[in-house]
Amino acid sequence: MEKYLLDYNWTVMAPELTILVAAALLTVIDLLMKKETDRRILGWMGIMAVATAGAFTLWRVGKPPYEILSDTYRVDDFALAFKLILLAGTALVLLAFLREIRKEGEHVGGEYIYLLLTALLGGMILTSSADLITLFVGLELLSLSSYVLACIRRKRLPSNEAAWKYFITGSVSSAFILYGMSFVYGLSGTTNLYMAQKRLYEAFNSGYESFVLLSLFLMLLGFGFKVASAPFHMWVPDVYQGAPTPVTAFLAVVSKTAAFAFVLRVLLVTYLFLYETGPWQDVVGPALLVLSAVSMVVGNTGALRQSQTKRLMAYSSVAHAGYLLVPLAVISGGMLFESTVYYLMAYLLMTLGAFTVLNVVEQDGKTGDVAAFAGLSRRNPLLAVAMTVFLVSLAGIPVTAGFFGKFYILIHAITGQTFWIAAVMVITTVISYFYYFKIIRMMYFRPSSKGRFAIPFGAVAVILVSLTGTIFFGLFPQWTLDFIGQLDWVSTLSPVGTQHQ
Amino acid sequence: MPITSYLALSAILFSLGLYGVLTKRNAVVVLFCIELMLNAANINLVAFSKYGLYANQTGHVFTLFTITVAAAEAAVGIAILIALYRNRNSVKADHYNMMKG
Repeated sequence: MEKYLLDYNWTVMAPELTILVAAALLTVIDLLMKKETDRRILGWMGIMAVATAGAFTLWRVGKPPYEILSDTYRVDDFALAFKLILLAGTALVLLAFLREIRKEGEHVGGEYIYLLLTALLGGMILTSSADLITLFVGLELLSLSSYVLACIRRKRLPSNEAAWKYFITGSVSSAFILYGMSFVYGLSGTTNLYMAQKRLYEAFNSGYESFVLLSLFLMLLGFGFKVASAPFHMWVPDVYQGAPTPVTAFLAVVSKTAAFAFVLRVLLVTYLFLYETGPWQDVVGPALLVLSAVSMVVGNTGALRQSQTKRLMAYSSVAHAGYLLVPLAVISGGMLFESTVYYLMAYLLMTLGAFTVLNVVEQDGKTGDVAAFAGLSRRNPLLAVAMTVFLVSLAGIPVTAGFFGKFYILIHAITGQTFWIAAVMVITTVISYFYYFKIIRMMYFRPSSKGRFAIPFGAVAVILVSLTGTIFFGLFPQWTLDFIGQLDWVSTLSPVGTQHQ
Repeated sequence: MPITSYLALSAILFSLGLYGVLTKRNAVVVLFCIELMLNAANINLVAFSKYGLYANQTGHVFTLFTITVAAAEAAVGIAILIALYRNRNSVKADHYNMMKG
């Protein structure tokens, strides 16, 4: 039966359309505003748009999956859960750094806000695509917006240099992903992920094993860059250090979450048959485990040498990418989606909280060095307590969200009988205490010559939200996990038509 | 089988592009090399849409999308390079080494 455009239920795309309209409107409004007008009003409009999109997304949760635009775009609980994390991350980034919009005597204007929105839109397309073409377009929308965002302080050399390095590594990884996708298309003759799974399975059994694995590994190389896992992490420290702090926070949280949604969707939908027929356990699983172990080791030992706070956070982000890859590598643990989503939620809260505090402290101290934190406990005790909670959570010490995030991943690895990765995880976590506690030591045991300072309203709000969330998820982990477990994760793996058989 | 020659061509282009990105000192040449890598994938897609296991038109559509995206990517890349050139006065990629460690 022929389906016309208006036969589709367009309300499923309401969140994306909201963000798209908001980004377009803000572009026009920004053009019409006078040059010296305060652009913060645009920031508030952006936050409202993201909140509206979040409400639309929440409203879809729990409803059966729906495919739109000839099955290229798919709205299921997997996509919705990741979209909620992306939206929450962007809203918090916008709120925390509202004051940044008119900083440093340079016209940074509204571009920052609508580029964040287009990057968010790219991430949202990425999470709910069921087709290689839409996946690639979403990925590039996210990446291109991020390159420009990294360069947004265009008169500052570190910002330019960070953008250049990010652009080169990002484009090379996109090229790898596209090259891998071209082989998927060649073997399956389709760009639909579900159809491709069937056809790849046939191709795999009729003598094209090497090409199937080649396509997978080319894409894995690209994924490695995008999620910032070692050994593809060379760009991370430079980009995190050079980019303006709001953008760094966005890259660390939203970009990484979107990349993980992409990896999970492509690997689990398109290549799941490898798990059922065996090669996953022999080749793909070990490769992912090595990626994750190398990320943990390189991230956690690399951070030990850093004196710049943002570089330190960059290496810590590499290590977290390593932890997050464990559930995917060890599929048989049974809590793949739950532990990944729980960890991403905890990671969102603690990382954004830490970056907000870091930004406030850096602006006050006019330096990116860890020494900017010296004596914070006397200058601003509450801020020091908040930062301590975030760092303790990042380090994975009990009664915080970060602890249970790591705990569930560890349980997953042990249930999946992969003991060595659990051991690597525990050892590197202990190593990570050294550099997280370096900042805490600075805050409590170093004298400071400076006095108290004011914190902008948006930053206070974000710090409070992150603090509450980090402690709440730490006190009631089971409640959160049950909620995540109620979502319909299994339907992610099969196309819409075959659900009820 | 004609497809192998197309695949070989695209593999050579892709490798040349990757080699250039990793070794060239001139930033503009690095941009060209990235385009080379993306176009290698395009050759693959078009070849597969004629000689693939299930030959059909989807490959052409995909190629149109990737060409558009690659154009946008080149524009962003050149914009970043110009901003960098204004501050650094050099197009040598190995001069962009402010941050290390």
